[in-house]
Amino acid sequence: MKGAVVVTGAARGIGRTIAHTLMQTGPFTVVGVDLSPELAEVDGIVPVQVDLTSVDGPATVLEAVESTGLPLLGLVNNAGITRDSRLVNMSTEDFTSVIEVNLGATYRLCEALAPHVVEEGAIVNIASRAYLGNFGQFNYSMSKGGVVGLTRALAISLAPRVRVNAIAPGLIATEMSMAIPEDIREKMVGAIPMGRMGEPEEIANAVWYLISPLSSYVTGHVLVVGGGRSLK
Amino acid sequence: MRRTRIPSEVVPAPPELDAGFIFWARTGLEDWEDVRVELAEAFEGSKAAAVAEESIVYVVSNDALLGRSGAPAAMVAAGLLSGARTAAIEGSRKGWTANVLAYDSVVDEADVLEHAVRLLENGLVTGELIHLGPGHIGKALA
Repeated sequence: MKGAVVVTGAARGIGRTIAHTLMQTGPFTVVGVDLSPELAEVDGIVPVQVDLTSVDGPATVLEAVESTGLPLLGLVNNAGITRDSRLVNMSTEDFTSVIEVNLGATYRLCEALAPHVVEEGAIVNIASRAYLGNFGQFNYSMSKGGVVGLTRALAISLAPRVRVNAIAPGLIATEMSMAIPEDIREKMVGAIPMGRMGEPEEIANAVWYLISPLSSYVTGHVLVVGGGRSLK
Repeated sequence: MRRTRIPSEVVPAPPELDAGFIFWARTGLEDWEDVRVELAEAFEGSKAAAVAEESIVYVVSNDALLGRSGAPAAMVAAGLLSGARTAAIEGSRKGWTANVLAYDSVVDEADVLEHAVRLLENGLVTGELIHLGPGHIGKALA
């Protein structure tokens, strides 16, 4: 079926790659959502430059979907931020902003769009391997754990009409991870059995699987795509 | 320093603790504002405990953790579990612990609280999800 898929955080990194992959592999028109003006540089998408934490954010996205005249096949909640520090040093502002963007915006967009997703459609929430715990990321870890909880609850409440799954990426080669000091990054890679960082395309391929009918009997699942990082 | 955040409808008289933080997640959450407030309270209490190098126990409903009590409750319960795992990593360097206690609705609240206090005082168990009651058996929860 030809239709639209909404991808948030589509201007850069993993989200941009997800948008490209969905446009190339599926009969999808991608409605790309981001706060960044770089969104306009992503070829082929329907751009929606909006703050998803704003009151009007979800309605603006829905209007953009309706403007395509296509059925809404799916939603990929990818937008997220980090504000890392140890719990003892974490400010209320850093805690709140990460929770609002990573969890609050995801929840509100799901609430707004889920009723409009077609029968046999799918929602994919991008969590993080950090939901299993990660030093210096109390806020991020909690927000991504919340996304996992949201995924479970929606998988129950939206079944059998819409499937809802999550992906928990490990260390992926993006601008964000390349900003980590090299010595620390090498140490992190050393703890990955696959011996390397993941590529954004490897997350996009997992999204493609979960958004497409290939995974027609999979719901409420958290797919860890992390090169085996949680094994050692 | 004693800290508890236990709703009065659950336990009218919270226990006297020598140290640590027990956060008992509310049930019946309805919307994002409820979630935001709940997680913010958990954060403030947890940070205070971490600064004092004291242990943390989050108490959540098993149904909420499994996603069977709606999205707001699930976000809080699963968010607390992830928060506890991260706090446990940070606390392990300082000697304090962080754990989650998930209870079934059939379990008496006084028993839950007793286990929470024991867990707080244990000092060895950390980063764990401990279930009270059989409701989780056979369910997928990573």
